[in-house]
Amino acid sequence: MSELSSRTKDVIENEPVTLFMKGTPQFVMCGNSDRALRALREAGAPVTAVDVLPDPEIRQELSTLSGWPTIPQVFVKGELIGGADITEELAASGELTQILEEKLGPDYRGSAEERTVSVLATPA
Amino acid sequence: MAQMATESLERLLREAFPDATELSVQDRTGGGDHFQVIVASPAFAGLPLLEQHRLVNDALAGPLRDGTIHELRIKTKGTA
Repeated sequence: MSELSSRTKDVIENEPVTLFMKGTPQFVMCGNSDRALRALREAGAPVTAVDVLPDPEIRQELSTLSGWPTIPQVFVKGELIGGADITEELAASGELTQILEEKLGPDYRGSAEERTVSVLATPA
Repeated sequence: MAQMATESLERLLREAFPDATELSVQDRTGGGDHFQVIVASPAFAGLPLLEQHRLVNDALAGPLRDGTIHELRIKTKGTA
């Protein structure tokens, strides 16, 4: 497994909620990434965002790991939830809140801090 | 060109979901690369949303991979 792949896997497995997106929460570069981010924010999810744009390899490695071809991708505790459409639908039906409560505990909103991490190696 | 892309996506979906009761492909921007697809099929019945969308993604794997589809919105419905 490449370093990039194992770092991506680490983030997916260790962060409560990971959103792989185009751009960052502060500067969203794609409509679907924006829709997924909004749905997660409305559910009060503690979003850890990963921008896939800096290197096309991120997207390739991610899709290999997840089996999901498009961006955005939302994971909760290592499990793929889906892309923008699914995240929106689950948010609208209330299921997203249920999933977050089940996986992160009923008080998950208390830790709803948004942050951005990189899966690229820090330049030496 | 844009019309061709829409038709070819529709054909791929018809092949993958021959029993679909509703199937549409909309070119959202007219540019032939931002699509909204709607598929209602008994193939989705009882499947989680993630697996329903996975079936649509699989049907469109070619155009997703070669960049024909720049953005895809999916709406699936399971029918009895």
